[in-house]
Amino acid sequence: MTRLLMLSTLMFLLGGCGMIQDVKPWEKDQLAKETLTPAGSDTNLHAFRKHLYFSKEASKGGGGVAGGGCGCN
Amino acid sequence: MQLKPSLLAFTLLLAAHAQADDYVAVHYIHYDEGSGRTTIQTPTVEINKDFGTDYTLNLSAGRDALSGASPTWYDATSGASARLPDHAVPANDIHYGNIAYDDNRTFVSGALTTRFENRDALTVGLNYSSESDYLSRGVSAEYLHYLDEGKNRSVSVGLSYQKNSVDVHCFLGNTICDAISGASSKTITKDLDVINAEIGLTQILDTQSLIKASLFYNYESGYLSNPYMRVVRNKTHLVEEAKPDTRKGGGATLTYSRALTDDLSANLYYRFYHDDWGITSHTISLSTFYTLNDTLTLGLAGRYYTQSAAWFYHPGKAHFTDETYASSDRRMGAWHAYDVKVSADIHVSEAITIQSAAGYYTQPGNFHSRYLSVGMKYGF
Repeated sequence: MTRLLMLSTLMFLLGGCGMIQDVKPWEKDQLAKETLTPAGSDTNLHAFRKHLYFSKEASKGGGGVAGGGCGCN
Repeated sequence: MQLKPSLLAFTLLLAAHAQADDYVAVHYIHYDEGSGRTTIQTPTVEINKDFGTDYTLNLSAGRDALSGASPTWYDATSGASARLPDHAVPANDIHYGNIAYDDNRTFVSGALTTRFENRDALTVGLNYSSESDYLSRGVSAEYLHYLDEGKNRSVSVGLSYQKNSVDVHCFLGNTICDAISGASSKTITKDLDVINAEIGLTQILDTQSLIKASLFYNYESGYLSNPYMRVVRNKTHLVEEAKPDTRKGGGATLTYSRALTDDLSANLYYRFYHDDWGITSHTISLSTFYTLNDTLTLGLAGRYYTQSAAWFYHPGKAHFTDETYASSDRRMGAWHAYDVKVSADIHVSEAITIQSAAGYYTQPGNFHSRYLSVGMKYGF
């Protein structure tokens, strides 16, 4: 399973290198939308879900360095 | 000379985007694990304000009201104090089950982003969280640097530090409190320091998609046990759990976001994590949004998580004897989890959006939970 995921990721990245286009500033309206982030527009709920995972699961990190305190130990 | 119009358009785009980013969001979130386990009610507020095109201030605050019960080993004959004792107990009186608790957590965070002439950005953040037996204070900084003139490729470097204090109820004979004498019970405060570093690379692939890859590293030092979790040693001794006092972990993430059409977008996320407690995990999630019309945006998200067990974990009643480290905390075990969320944003006017969402999080064989969120976002 792990090898399959790593292989898929590598193939995706290598494939991505050939897809890169020079996007002009005025062509970035789609990229600026809130829906092009995993959080979407509801950042409060996104923060709550991150805290849920943090307090119920043993893994930490990978979501950026700026975050709230936990208090779940 | 074509650069000037493009820069002007870019500046206007930034200004328009900046205008749209001024908002106040207020939400109420209800979380329930059912079967008498944890219930959380959380009102939150977030304010985001741009000052020109060079500064953005984000402030958020909330309060969790927690009640219910969480599972651990306990002395069935001890009544209300069943959660805390460290002593020999007849084996038949040691049960695994839910012990009641309630608490409140207040949290506040703020971040200021400063953009420089070359549009590089520095974000500095502070956060504070407090509950009856836990205090957390943190500071973070993240620097974003564009690697090309078109600003299609950027690297970000971030560092955060958290100083936490944990109140531990201790009893004479408890290994944590051996140095304390005089009273029959006391509370002592233990420190926990957490450092997190992360480096990320973001690449715009085309007008509809971008990809971000990151590496992260965590270092924790101090009291990492849970003061309420117990293990059974030598079949009859109900004592505090003992986790190592340091933890080093890290991993990598990959996020791919794509606008599939003008109205439909998808975000695919993967995280690999490993630490020196022996825990390895994989997380994969997909979130999609569909703009049905000017009034309604629908969202659907799914997440799968799986982890291996820590090397000092065992759920059994007859496993531990005199090991240095021992824990029966289920969070340290091997299991997997699913999370599914649906959402609807109703754009009442250009400024006001009503937001609602419902989710279901489950760790099969352990617990199931539901959460609901309702709120309003006001743009100004």
